Amino acid sequence: MASRRIEERRAQHTRYKEDVERTGKPFFPHAMFHDTVMSLVVVSVIVGLAVVWYLDADGTEAGVLGPHYTEEADPGTTNFIPRPDWYFYFLFYLLRIFKWPESVVLGTVGIPTIGLVLLLALPFLDLRRERRLFRRPVALVALLLVVLSMGVLTYKGATARESLGSELIEAVPQWSERQGFAGKMEAVEGAEIFAQAGCAQCHLYLGTGSQNLGAPELTDIGSGERGAEYFARYVQNPAQFGNNVMPPYAALGEENLQKLGVFLDASKGTEER
Amino acid sequence: MAVTPARRKSPRRAQIEAAALYPLDWLEERSGLVGAIKYFLFRRVPRDTSWAQTLGSASLTAFLVQAITGVILAFYYKPDPDKAYESIQIITNDLTLGWLVRGMHRWGASVFIILMFLHMARVFLYGAYKYPRELNWIVGVLLLTLGMAEGFTGYLLPWDQTAYWATVVGININGTAPFLGPFIAQFLQGGAAIGSDTLSKFYSIHMLVLPGAIAGLIGLHLYLVIRLGVTSPPWSPTEAGRERAPEPPSTNGREGLIRPSGRGGSNGE
Repeated sequence: MASRRIEERRAQHTRYKEDVERTGKPFFPHAMFHDTVMSLVVVSVIVGLAVVWYLDADGTEAGVLGPHYTEEADPGTTNFIPRPDWYFYFLFYLLRIFKWPESVVLGTVGIPTIGLVLLLALPFLDLRRERRLFRRPVALVALLLVVLSMGVLTYKGATARESLGSELIEAVPQWSERQGFAGKMEAVEGAEIFAQAGCAQCHLYLGTGSQNLGAPELTDIGSGERGAEYFARYVQNPAQFGNNVMPPYAALGEENLQKLGVFLDASKGTEER
Repeated sequence: MAVTPARRKSPRRAQIEAAALYPLDWLEERSGLVGAIKYFLFRRVPRDTSWAQTLGSASLTAFLVQAITGVILAFYYKPDPDKAYESIQIITNDLTLGWLVRGMHRWGASVFIILMFLHMARVFLYGAYKYPRELNWIVGVLLLTLGMAEGFTGYLLPWDQTAYWATVVGININGTAPFLGPFIAQFLQGGAAIGSDTLSKFYSIHMLVLPGAIAGLIGLHLYLVIRLGVTSPPWSPTEAGRERAPEPPSTNGREGLIRPSGRGGSNGE
C-alpha cells in the first residue's frame, strides 16, 4: 500500500516535469517580470512607511507609526509596561492567559514549541497527493483556526494594558522594602502571589498595575487594621462582602489566601507618596 | 546590400563579438557560472504560475533591503549602553538620510515578517509542501523562525525603554523553559543584569550569526526551488502533473456512439 503511494507520487512528479518541459514558459522574462514588479512594490512600501514614520513622529513624540525612540533605557523603573514588536504580540498574550506559576511554562514554551513542531512536521502528517484546498477539509479547518487564533491573540496583545506576573514579581523586593515588611516571610510570599495571580490587572499597587472595573488602589489597604484573616476571607469570596464585581479567588487555596491576607494587611502605604 | 551583411557576419564583426564574449567564455570555462545563470533564467516554469507566487522573491527582496540598510546602520551604530541611544539619535536626526536608512530597516523588518507569513500561507494553500518539496518547507519554517529571532535581537539595539523592557520579558520567557531555559537566559543576558554584555551579544547575533544562517538557508531554499520546480496552482485546468485522460480505447462501435454526447467534451485532451 505504502509503496504504491510512493510510486504514484513519483509518477506524478515525472508527469509534472514532462508537462513543464512541454508547455511551460521560460522563467525569464515571464515570471521574472512579475517578481520584479512585486519587488518594486515591496521596496516602495518600505520607503513609504519610513517616510511616514519619520515625518509624523518627532523623537519621543509618537506619530501614527509610533515614536522614533522612547526615553533612554533605565533599569530603575519598575512600572514600564513592555511592548515587544507586533509579531510577538501573540506570544505576549499567550503569557497572559497562563498566569499561574504551574502553567506559565505552557504558555511560554509548551504551546509555541508544539506549534513549531507541528509546522515542521506538516509535510509528514499530510501525505495525500491532493492539493485542491476544498478537498483537504482538515487542512482547511486547521488553516482557518490558526489564522483566527493568531489574529485574536495578536489583537488582544496589541490592546492589552496590564502588567505581566513575571515582571511584577521582580518588583516584590522593592515593595517589601518600601512597605517595611521585608523581614516578614509570609507577607513577602503573599506579595509574590499577588504579583502572579493577576491582581494587578485591576488593582494599582505602588504605581504598578492598572485600575480596571473600579478596583481600588491597594497600596495602603492595610492601614485600616482589619487583620489578615479579613482579607483572606474577602479575596476567597468577595460576594460575601457585597462585592459582585471581583471574582472569587478561593482556588488559590487556604495557605495562599492566608499569605495574601498577611501581605495586604502589611500594606500600610508609604509616607513618601 | 543593407540586408545581406546582417546574415553573413563580416570577419571584422565576428572578431569584435568574440572579443566581447571572451570574458564570459573565460569565466564559463573556469566556473560554469554563465551556464548556471542561463539555466536559472531560461528554466521552464508552469505556464499558469500566478502573482501569488511572487511572495517568495518579495521576501528575498525585503531581506536584501535589511542586509543593505543594516550594513549602513552598522557604520554608525555603537553597541555600548552608554553610547547606543545617542548613536541612534544621531542616525535619526543628524546624518544625511540616516532617518531613511533606519526607517527602512525598522519597517523593512515588519514587511519581511509579513511577507514570510504570506508566502507560507500561499505554499499551504497550494499544497506545495507535499512530495517532493517537504525539505524545502522545513527550510522555510527555519527561515521564518530565524527571521523572528532577528526581530527579537534587533529590538534591543536602540537601547530605549521599549527595547530594554521588551528584552527583559523576552529573556524571562526563555528562562521559564524547562532544562535549557535558565542556561539560555543566562547566556543571552551575559551577567547579573541586562547590560553591555547583553547588548554586544545581541548585536553580534543580530548582525553576524542570524544573517549568515539566513543567507545560507535562502541559498538552499532557492536551490531546492530550482531543482524541484515551481508548482502550478492546484485549481488550474492546465495544472502541470495532472492526471492524464486514459488512452482512448479502441473504438468498437458502441462506445464510439456514446462518448461524443456524454463526457467526451470534458475528457478531451
